[in-house]
Amino acid sequence: MSTATAEGGASPGPTRMRSRSRWAPYLFVAPNMIVFAIFTIYPAINGFNISFFDSRNGRTFEPVGTGNYKQILGDAEFWGVVRHTAIFVIAFVVVTMVLSTALALMLNAQQRGRGVLRAAYFLPVLLSPVVVGLIWGWALERRVGLVNTITDAIGLGQPGWLIDPTLAMTCTVLVGVWTHLGFYALILLSGLQGIDGNVYEAATLDGAGTGQTIRLITLPLLRPTMLVVLILSTIAGFQAFDFIYTLTGGGPTGSTTLIVQYIYEQAFESPIRYGLASAAGVILFITIFGITLLNYLLGRRQEAV
Amino acid sequence: MSTATETASTTPTPVRTGVRSAPSTGTIIRTTLLITGAIIMLIPVAWAVLSSFKDTSELAQRPPTIIPRDPTFANYTEALTSFNFLTYFKNSVIVTVAATALTLFINSMAAFALSKYNFRGRNALFLLTLATIMIPLQVILLPVYQVVANLGLVNSLWGLIIPPAATPTGVFLLRQYMLTIPDDLIEAARIDGASEWRIFWRIMMPLCRPALAVVAIFSIIWRWNDFLWPLIIAQDESVYTLPVALARFNGQQVVPFNLVLAMSVLTILPVVIIFLVLQRHILTGIAQTGLK
Repeated sequence: MSTATAEGGASPGPTRMRSRSRWAPYLFVAPNMIVFAIFTIYPAINGFNISFFDSRNGRTFEPVGTGNYKQILGDAEFWGVVRHTAIFVIAFVVVTMVLSTALALMLNAQQRGRGVLRAAYFLPVLLSPVVVGLIWGWALERRVGLVNTITDAIGLGQPGWLIDPTLAMTCTVLVGVWTHLGFYALILLSGLQGIDGNVYEAATLDGAGTGQTIRLITLPLLRPTMLVVLILSTIAGFQAFDFIYTLTGGGPTGSTTLIVQYIYEQAFESPIRYGLASAAGVILFITIFGITLLNYLLGRRQEAV
Repeated sequence: MSTATETASTTPTPVRTGVRSAPSTGTIIRTTLLITGAIIMLIPVAWAVLSSFKDTSELAQRPPTIIPRDPTFANYTEALTSFNFLTYFKNSVIVTVAATALTLFINSMAAFALSKYNFRGRNALFLLTLATIMIPLQVILLPVYQVVANLGLVNSLWGLIIPPAATPTGVFLLRQYMLTIPDDLIEAARIDGASEWRIFWRIMMPLCRPALAVVAIFSIIWRWNDFLWPLIIAQDESVYTLPVALARFNGQQVVPFNLVLAMSVLTILPVVIIFLVLQRHILTGIAQTGLK
């Protein structure tokens, strides 16, 4: 109001309107930005800061320069975690991309029962990861588990799925894929439905078969959506924690301990080491940021070609 | 959808429409694959639900049974009476509802400003919002915990509700949707003398219902199932949410698996019911809001 009178003189109507809408946007964005600032941006900066301090028992903070980074990068346990995370993310992303694309293509072509099938594949997305870990942990249990009942019946014996480190990692990846598949397939399905039908018509007239149409027309046109799924699944892969916590607890012998669990343990389980936890957080951030940027740039370049 | 009709109306291509004529080999293979896959997706959940009606001796039996021999509700009644199940359930409901309402409210306000106003710093704020997608909670677990601890919100439901309320994806989705709403509507309302707030609340919000529904559903699913953040903030049993309670009890040797199983099923149930009721809106809504 006061602005209006101060600026007055010209036609009062428009001026008032302008002054009103001058402050309005800031008031509208404020609540969201305040929550962002307090609970994301400030902690992000502070986390970077803490990574240069050593905290004994989470109390006294001593500046140690890059000491935490040196320690962490020289720590065999950390490199084990990095290796497991890398294996998990790569396997998770590759299997997710292939299966969700295939699933979306099939669902898109399927005429009958599409709604029911779509819902069936989407169901795991709804489940709490804690419950997912519990249910699969039980299904994969060596003696009373459902999976080994089947493998035993068809003569494959009773593998210790969650006891053998290699099998445990494989199971962790597959359970992760099982959880997320429906979500990514749905995004891809919406991308497929956005493709103009005339393109297919032209292809059919030119005598292209189903395989050719998919390879030469559908997939290239779907590339932007696939890029989104690639980026989302990569970030999800790096963030995996909760279902693993109840599936394997990070074991056997740390073989499925990924970086988020490592950060959690450093920060919240004794001996508490805030500095190391924060340094690991910074390293995770740089990795996610770098890979997302790379995905994006490569995806863009491919698109331009 | 339009794809199918267009193709059908112009050229009757058997590949895409496939009406009447006997199903091709491709169709049969595809349908078989899709159904097999769907069964693999559903089996573990169905088995868990069925098993929650078995007694302890049947649960320990090998090989396991599929259909419960003597269906019983004992696991449920015992789970409900021997834990503060109702407290965890209540906490989960309060956190989910309050956090979703708060998220919708502040996200849509921000989205409105970012889509319908020209103001200094708009692009910077929008970029900042998008950039926070890259800083997931997992990365800044400890510093966020410290902020919340300093604010005295550890072991309080507020500590579970407020910190993750400003979601970048929510702002992004709502903004994209609001961009499709013509500015003329807002101008007309302004000329009629409506306040900016009224324009937002009475015009924008009703028009954004499909986008709001999608954000609401994802917020509900996410909050109901969230684990890492509640695990850190809810240290006292009185503020446990269901996933935290489940994971904590599963870690203790004394808690029998049959009770964990019954609690798991009760945890799944509300979200699945919501999904089944709103299924059509969710699945088409995701496509509509152009989650891309």
